[in-house]
Amino acid sequence: MISRRQALAALAALASVAPRRAGAFGDAGAFHARTVSSGGARIDAERSTAPARWAYELVRRTSAPGRLASSSVSFDQPAFAAEPFAVWAGSSDPTPLSGPERRGLERFLKMGGVLVVDDLEPDGRAFGKGARRELRRVLPDAAPVKLDASHVVFKSYYIVDRPVGRVEGPAEIEAIVRGKYAQVIFLEHDLLGALARSRGGGWALEVTPGGVAQREQAVRLAVNLAMYVLCSDYKDDQVHAPWLMRRRARRRP
Amino acid sequence: MSTRSWALSEDLSVGVTVFVLVFVGLSLTLLMLELGRRERFGLWIVGSGVVASLALGLAALRPVRVAERGTWVGPKVVVLVDQSRRLGLPSDDGTPRKALAERSLAELRTRYQKARLSALGFGDSTLVPLGDGPPPARRASESDLARALAEIAETPGERPRAVVVVSDGRLSRPASTSDDEALSRVVGELGVPIHSVRLAERAPADASIRAVRVAGAAVAHQPFSLTIEVGCDGGLSCGDIPVAVREHRQGVEPAVLASGIARIEDGSATLELRITLERAGARVVEVSIDAPDGDKVPENDRRFITFSVARERVRLLHVAGRPTYDVRTLRQWLKSDESVDLVAFFILRANSDDTMTDDDSELALIPFPVEELFTEHLPSFDAIVLQDIDAVVYKLDRHLPALARYVEGGGGLIMVGGPSSFAGGNYAGTALERVLPVELSEKLEPADAAEFTPRYTEAGRAAPVLGGVFELLGEELPSMTGSNTLGKPRGASLVLMEHPSRKADNAPMPVLALGESGDGRSIAFGVDGSYRLAWSELAASVSGRAFGALWDGLLGWLMRDPRFEVVRAEVVGACITGEETTLRLTRLPAARGDVDVVVERLGKGTAPALVKKVAEPAPGPLDVSFVGFDPGGYVARVRVGQSPPARLDFACEKGGEAYRDSRPDAPRLERISAVTAGRSVVAGREGDLPLPDATRVAAERHVSPLLPAWAWTLAAAMFLGAHWLFRRRGGLA
Repeated sequence: MISRRQALAALAALASVAPRRAGAFGDAGAFHARTVSSGGARIDAERSTAPARWAYELVRRTSAPGRLASSSVSFDQPAFAAEPFAVWAGSSDPTPLSGPERRGLERFLKMGGVLVVDDLEPDGRAFGKGARRELRRVLPDAAPVKLDASHVVFKSYYIVDRPVGRVEGPAEIEAIVRGKYAQVIFLEHDLLGALARSRGGGWALEVTPGGVAQREQAVRLAVNLAMYVLCSDYKDDQVHAPWLMRRRARRRP
Repeated sequence: MSTRSWALSEDLSVGVTVFVLVFVGLSLTLLMLELGRRERFGLWIVGSGVVASLALGLAALRPVRVAERGTWVGPKVVVLVDQSRRLGLPSDDGTPRKALAERSLAELRTRYQKARLSALGFGDSTLVPLGDGPPPARRASESDLARALAEIAETPGERPRAVVVVSDGRLSRPASTSDDEALSRVVGELGVPIHSVRLAERAPADASIRAVRVAGAAVAHQPFSLTIEVGCDGGLSCGDIPVAVREHRQGVEPAVLASGIARIEDGSATLELRITLERAGARVVEVSIDAPDGDKVPENDRRFITFSVARERVRLLHVAGRPTYDVRTLRQWLKSDESVDLVAFFILRANSDDTMTDDDSELALIPFPVEELFTEHLPSFDAIVLQDIDAVVYKLDRHLPALARYVEGGGGLIMVGGPSSFAGGNYAGTALERVLPVELSEKLEPADAAEFTPRYTEAGRAAPVLGGVFELLGEELPSMTGSNTLGKPRGASLVLMEHPSRKADNAPMPVLALGESGDGRSIAFGVDGSYRLAWSELAASVSGRAFGALWDGLLGWLMRDPRFEVVRAEVVGACITGEETTLRLTRLPAARGDVDVVVERLGKGTAPALVKKVAEPAPGPLDVSFVGFDPGGYVARVRVGQSPPARLDFACEKGGEAYRDSRPDAPRLERISAVTAGRSVVAGREGDLPLPDATRVAAERHVSPLLPAWAWTLAAAMFLGAHWLFRRRGGLA
């Protein structure tokens, strides 16, 4: 278990190498990967560094501002509706959501928020299945669907061919799509695991089976998810279509 | 003069009279049939029967003696004098037709001095009595004789014995294409002769724009055709006449939209020119011809037309320097609005970013087409949102003069705050600054990161722009995480939200300000936290709807949506040079305060503005009148109290629609007179018009019965009795 002091030291070290660029005023409008504690979701010490790394990679690679100090929030807190993005990650079957939690999550989704559900133990899929069960109670009429390979999540910044995290996982992403937007994105790849940092400053967890290349692809997926949250379907705009079609054609062998 | 006559009793209805006459007739017929069958006493029976039947009829009808005393008076004659502005055009000898009309009316008064003459002016509305004084100052656009005759026919009381029309014949109704039957139907309803006095018979030497027609409605950004009819007559030598179409905008020279050549054949030519109006709302377009030398009526060589340009969708360019929650929330709202055609460009990678790849094909990024956007496509947008983008870094700086001209030409601009907006984005001291509603300073810190809660100004509370937010959240607003440094409002700009502690020239610093620049509007919003109207605890209390309410108002005001204007202005009738022009102002019920109206000429001139102020007017429509408009386009800005000004663009013309065709139409007047058995004469020959017969007016009338009713009844009974006796003697029952 990482201590509070160690976590702060790691954060300070991260901040010291972060790009010094003006973001939003006070970073309030910057990308913020908040983690959700509802349903008994627990994130281990290593993975608790992942949201900051997510923001760091976003800031380093893109023009988007990111909040390096992340926070945790529950569905029933008023603060949950203060930002449009959160990550609900866990490794075991979540406990049933309380009434206030369900109402808080429903309001968040109705306001247009995006929730990433990250199963940290994809082999057992206990968290993923439990999260789907709870979301069915919140959105009974909205079933997850597989996102097409042309979905904007796969081209919001990088051109990503398939999702990966700490594990290779399934080649597709499922999501609850409401209106035009994928609002609940189910990952069975342990994305936070691929972004987790160790106390010494290296990567905390090994990625399998692809090693360095797979981790880079996982980071790119994280950047794409952040850009999807910040720009929604911007890359689906007609003006981008011919460019992206040419790019994809060039990448094919 | 006395007369004597007789009549049937006046207390009987027509139905009773007819019944009695039919009854008597039937009785006589039956008697004749009986005569054929009887030999004895036949003549007596028939004779007594006839007398009895007549006596019975007279007993029922009771004839009366009528003695009358009365006088003969002059016939009623109505003179209809054309009040169209067209009568300002020259007649055959160059005298204005309206001068001839006045002279003709005086002649008719002399000619019909024994008649009871009513002189009425006809035009495009109700008839106007004409006295001996000068004619009404306001003239009509049309000469609707059919309407005038219908009004006379519908007037209760004595009908005229004759009507005299004084005109040049270029009537809007009855139409020149009507055949005699149709003409007779339209003008013959009165059933009296219609005489006419022709004020002109020959067309003046004149080339003119006779008609400008548009098929369908004008829609912003969509080309549409103007069908322009050019006429040339009066012996003017016309061949090819150049035609030009220009749009008049404020602060800039008129923009040429199209041009062409009208090739005159048989005195006219029709030309079709395609034009595109980029801005919605009222737009003033000038259509002009280059008339040949010798043109005697230069006023109709150009027409100023106000087009009400509709908008199918708002075409909006959203440019953001970096993606943030503020950008996301605005984009999602814009995308959710079906009436917005959104073109967005976000800077996703800065030069300093390390994408961790040398192969750009792994990135889904496209170059920012700044050149293409701000040169080729700029006019096609209704509004532009610049959000947190540095002008120098992203090479916008070279396009800022064009962007300023775009706003002055009628475009909309919203600059949304962030570290790279306003002075922080190197906009201070640029051409774009002059079209923003606030001043910017290069010397001050461009932004302040201190959290604050903006507050409404008095104008903000009154403005319909913020009405939606105010309705949802009341005085409460979410806190913002920082603010751009905005200077004092520019000119007549209006501050709707201000900073609670920061100052600009010793006044609270603007946070949200609206302004007008030339033909366009601009908004400065010096925060990057407006997303907190969608995402905050306060926002959640109204399900995030306050964000949409704010942007609906801002975009609506920018696009001149009437929902967000405090006052609606319209020109009553037409604006005609030399006549009084009235603007009718309809205010929102909640709009309070003094009304200020400023009218300026469109274009680049420096003509002084016309200003009127009405202090605290009563509720309801308010009419404000002006005089002294030359031909051209004008813009009226109306401000009620502290609210943002509303705007109306309108055109003024010399003569207007009435001058479009200067040719008189004497044959039409002659036909009208012919189909109504009237007579048509040229002006000056009013003495040749016939005088109708005098009308007799009864002054005293006495009615007395020939016999009392009992005498008629007794006589009828006696003759019926005698008839009965003869029938008995003759063997009839």
